[in-house]
Amino acid sequence: MNLSLNEIEAIAKRAARGAGYEWGVAEEAGKATRWLCAQGLDGATELARLLQREFPVTLEQHVPSELNDKWAGEEALCPLMTGATLSDHADIRHPGPLELQHVAVPLLLLPFVANMAFARNNSITMTMDGCTAVTDGTRLSCPDCDNAHADHVVIAVGGVLENTRPCHTRAHPDPAAWQVLTSFAHRTYAPATEESRLLGAGAGLSDND
Amino acid sequence: MDKTAQTTIPRRDPATVMRLSRLGSLHQCRLSFMRVLTRRLAEENWSFARPVFDVDDKGVGHAVYTAQGPERTYSLVAFAHDLPPEMRSDRVIATAWDATFTLFDGVPTEADIERLSQNVPLQEVGRVTDSEISVSRANRSVRLWEHFVESLAAGHQPDAEKADAVGYLMRTTAVYGSGKLGAADREKIADRPEMLVPFQAEMLSVFLTRWFVRDLVNHMARVRGGDEAVELSPEMATRLGIGNSTGLGMAPFIVNHPILFNNWIMVREEAIARVRSIETASAEDANAFRNIFDRSKLSMSWWRSEHPAQIKKLAELNNDLALISGYLGQDDLMRDHPWDRLIRWSETALSEEGQELVASLVLEPYGDLVDGLASCMADTNARAQVIKGAMPISDVRSLIQQGFDWALDLDWNAPENCARAWYVSEEKLEPRLGERFDEPIADYEQPLAPARDAVLAYKALADWVDEAPIAEFLMRHPEHRHTVRRAQMADIAPYGEIRDNTISASVLPIDMLRAKLAFFGATHFDPRSDRWVRICMYSGAPYPDELTGENADLWVYPEVLP
Repeated sequence: MNLSLNEIEAIAKRAARGAGYEWGVAEEAGKATRWLCAQGLDGATELARLLQREFPVTLEQHVPSELNDKWAGEEALCPLMTGATLSDHADIRHPGPLELQHVAVPLLLLPFVANMAFARNNSITMTMDGCTAVTDGTRLSCPDCDNAHADHVVIAVGGVLENTRPCHTRAHPDPAAWQVLTSFAHRTYAPATEESRLLGAGAGLSDND
Repeated sequence: MDKTAQTTIPRRDPATVMRLSRLGSLHQCRLSFMRVLTRRLAEENWSFARPVFDVDDKGVGHAVYTAQGPERTYSLVAFAHDLPPEMRSDRVIATAWDATFTLFDGVPTEADIERLSQNVPLQEVGRVTDSEISVSRANRSVRLWEHFVESLAAGHQPDAEKADAVGYLMRTTAVYGSGKLGAADREKIADRPEMLVPFQAEMLSVFLTRWFVRDLVNHMARVRGGDEAVELSPEMATRLGIGNSTGLGMAPFIVNHPILFNNWIMVREEAIARVRSIETASAEDANAFRNIFDRSKLSMSWWRSEHPAQIKKLAELNNDLALISGYLGQDDLMRDHPWDRLIRWSETALSEEGQELVASLVLEPYGDLVDGLASCMADTNARAQVIKGAMPISDVRSLIQQGFDWALDLDWNAPENCARAWYVSEEKLEPRLGERFDEPIADYEQPLAPARDAVLAYKALADWVDEAPIAEFLMRHPEHRHTVRRAQMADIAPYGEIRDNTISASVLPIDMLRAKLAFFGATHFDPRSDRWVRICMYSGAPYPDELTGENADLWVYPEVLP
């Protein structure tokens, strides 16, 4: 598959909404998925993995209970909700290292960590169990890691960008993941009815003249 | 930017400018995207060619038109089809068209054409690549096409009145850009000087499409009439534009791009403020305005609509034109801030159609003061999407008040205030607007009622202390995240929010469509219902191969014959 980043962002936003996230969080999902794809990572696979866990049903169990130096939820942390909180607190939290416990699909935290790096004008290192990524907001050094889950994620200011990933202008999602996103996105589309077809967009005067 | 670009008169208040009825009364101006494009093409001496025109006697085939600038070449690849009449529809849900197009980045090889021929005619069902910048389609005006082919085949020019009554031989029904259907993302072209101003690729595509349509009608007339046939006269060809049918998709666009939309409006407001701030005008500038006004009046006299709302507005506009003529008969337009006086007078004497016409027209004599602003119309601020979590709640509150003070006391539960819901149909993902209380659509509602959502967030913020960072609120209330993001954007985009209820029982979506289309440079808005509108593009413009410095800008105003 070969998609524009705009297509990836649009489907990711709709899919997250279809999975039950609030619109503002769905917007984050769109931007985050796009960011990962622009780094040559398969953002679609990461998001599909997350949405299939259906966190929004009990979302309060998947957000940090307390914002101290060790964030944890009752259940695995949702990277979209946790990431948004990280990004929102970029200018507020003290710069010391932060540990997150039990994070689902941790790569989805990276785009939010990139926001933090931008806000702090500094590179930030994120370690997901054994896998280490560094970003300055735009560039990313990160091996191809494929974690559905990380027991420990540590985020700390600093780190050296080495072997940064080449920037990608297209996305090549795994077709199965794309299918998952498409079917979640479909939940946001109203069923076709004759009334809707007649009144919802057109009606009025003829369009065949 | 310019030593004379100081304003002593401020920009108009967003609370005035951003009302829907006023946005629905906007007119094209010097900053419109079509005019920005043709000025640049002429200034940079772009050259144009038609390397391929391979269309058979049934009107089926393809053609390639190239536009070569100082650094790059773009090609319109056009596919002509033989469309059964019963399949002709302007709706998104159509599946076949009279002609389909793509704007190719460079000059396509035969292999590219082959690939495109498998995909472009399918439109949404096909796929293109990042070598393509836009994908579009057009349908014939059934009324006019046959009349033109028949007349030219018989050896004479078509009837001018019939031509003017429609204005175009084909109308585009969608022009997709920015990565849609697999095309190149905006980012690929955004840094190119010729693509810096918004929608330049789409405007170029339509400019070249108009050329193709002229060639196609001449070709079909030759096929039918043989040696008897004549070519469409240059005069008749120049009057023809390209039509466009625009549906609801444009309304979400302006709501979903508040910074981009702000930049369009703010740039025009800045241009108006600059011209209003001029203390004295030269006789030359005053005459230039009078001349443009007369030409504009002629163009307005050709504007027809069957829609009751537009009929009423046109009657008001005609009355306004007479009043403006009266004003111009009594004022030399040279002394004592002439343009500011004219604008202030218009606010007391004219309808919104007339006021916005005057506001657009006063820019005309002052290209050197205004045209450079076009480079500020793109949205280059991607970081504005990132929520600033440290912002105190009191600041977010006041940003919401700033944009939505008018909405805070509205009873949002009253059926008439939330009668509508915007949704996307599973049928080709067509954007639609429905009746919340009559149709099963509320569960599918798109976030296109920023005012209602702002009021909800504002109420939820009531119990929070002023000093707390908004990040704390958002942790507890993710449902207000999209609203907080918009509110923060308003800090840099004061014209980003429509100051009206976009889900009220009386909302007219065509007002949103017109605002966007006016920035494209469209004229002769002809609403076909409250949800879709037809317009004309490039009517009066030179064809690419005729473009010169003299005719590249003011073509939108027809010459008044003595």
